[in-house]
Amino acid sequence: MSKKKSSDNFEEKLTRLEEITALLEKSEIGLEDSIQIFEEGVKLSKECLSILENAELKVSVLKKELNETNQIDDDTN
Amino acid sequence: MIDLQDQIFSVSELTNTIKFTLENSFDKISVEGEISNFKNHVSGHWYFNLKDEGAVINCTMWKGVNNYVFFKPADGMKIIVSGRITVYPPRGSYQIDVRSMKTAGIGELQAAFERLKKKLLAEGLFDTEYKKTFPQFPKKIGIVTAVDGAAIKDMISVAQRRFPLAELVIVPTKVQGAGAAENIAANIGKLNYLKDIDVIIIARGGGTIEDLWAFNEEIVARAIFKSKIPIVSGVGHEIDFTIADFVSDLRAPTPSVAMELVTPDVEEIKSFIMDSYSLSCNIIDRTLENLKSEIDDRLNSYVFRYPFEKIRKFSQMVDLNIFKLNKQIEHKIISAKNKIMMLNSLIESHNIERTLQKGFVLIKQNSKFVMRKKNYNSQIPAVIKFYDGEEEIK
Repeated sequence: MSKKKSSDNFEEKLTRLEEITALLEKSEIGLEDSIQIFEEGVKLSKECLSILENAELKVSVLKKELNETNQIDDDTN
Repeated sequence: MIDLQDQIFSVSELTNTIKFTLENSFDKISVEGEISNFKNHVSGHWYFNLKDEGAVINCTMWKGVNNYVFFKPADGMKIIVSGRITVYPPRGSYQIDVRSMKTAGIGELQAAFERLKKKLLAEGLFDTEYKKTFPQFPKKIGIVTAVDGAAIKDMISVAQRRFPLAELVIVPTKVQGAGAAENIAANIGKLNYLKDIDVIIIARGGGTIEDLWAFNEEIVARAIFKSKIPIVSGVGHEIDFTIADFVSDLRAPTPSVAMELVTPDVEEIKSFIMDSYSLSCNIIDRTLENLKSEIDDRLNSYVFRYPFEKIRKFSQMVDLNIFKLNKQIEHKIISAKNKIMMLNSLIESHNIERTLQKGFVLIKQNSKFVMRKKNYNSQIPAVIKFYDGEEEIK
């Protein structure tokens, strides 16, 4: 479950990283703010890389006799 | 020998004789003809006519047998059926009990393909306006394929390599033979029911046109079109195009490529992150560099470089004024001196001694010179001063 959460956040983190780079490039913000969001960016980069490094493909097989009950075999590889 | 002309049969006798004769004579036959009046009965049996320009013959194909037909027969389709002639005495009719069925050559399948393609194209099922977009980072990828095929193994390994953050939800599906089309369509529906699936892959490895035929069936096309989830098709090899490919939101030449198309590459994401990181570093470095040089500029400015300059300027002014002052004072002193000297010489000219030398005398009373008669007091002693000495008068 925790893995699912981290991958949920992954896209948001990546989007935020993109935002941060764009913000820094604009250079309209002051030094203190720049450094603050730069630090945030570094943190996010590390988190994203760590999520990617630790990711394991999850494979589940939908039960054949599924009659619209959403049962999923937890055949996690 | 019985003379048939002389014998009188009952209807049943004659019919049974015909049945015996026909069923023995046509026990294993193959017939080519065009399908008409095709009916797929709810019981699962098929009823249809086979015809050509001059004749028609009834056909039946029982449920269980027709399971092995990979395509869906339709009116107008040219087929070759194999089976035997059976006679049905209550109706006095004969028919072919069809055991197997195939199209009359590849051209026939091609024609069926073209017919359906034309029909669906006209209905707009291939229109680009209906093509859905794919998420950049799919969390759950639904896969409609056979679990025992090579295709699923390939897809799993592609997903593992490219985007292990995803979850694959495999729906075991019959992708070949009778009922395959229905199964594919139903499983696309199941994945739609789950709601949390981000993208669906329908896939099958390479095979003959017959093997891939399920993906050319209308029911599959309709199910793909109806799906709310974007679908990528990866059926057969590069050269194989199916109706499913045209309806799908994206067509991949193979199952592996289908998986590649829906997953971002983890290496690309990593390099994106690294690029963002180094870009941010550069920006911060540059900002700091700019600010530093701004500070340096200030420090190098005149005021900071020569902080005593102003003081020196002022002290110079002070010095100048002191100098001027001195000069003026000096000047005053000199003129005073001159005046003194002048006065001195004046005094010199009036020197008493010189007057006395000429023979004049001075009278002093009480140590003061008496210059006028009214100041003279005859009652007190006086001193007469001569040039060469003083003489007291009593």
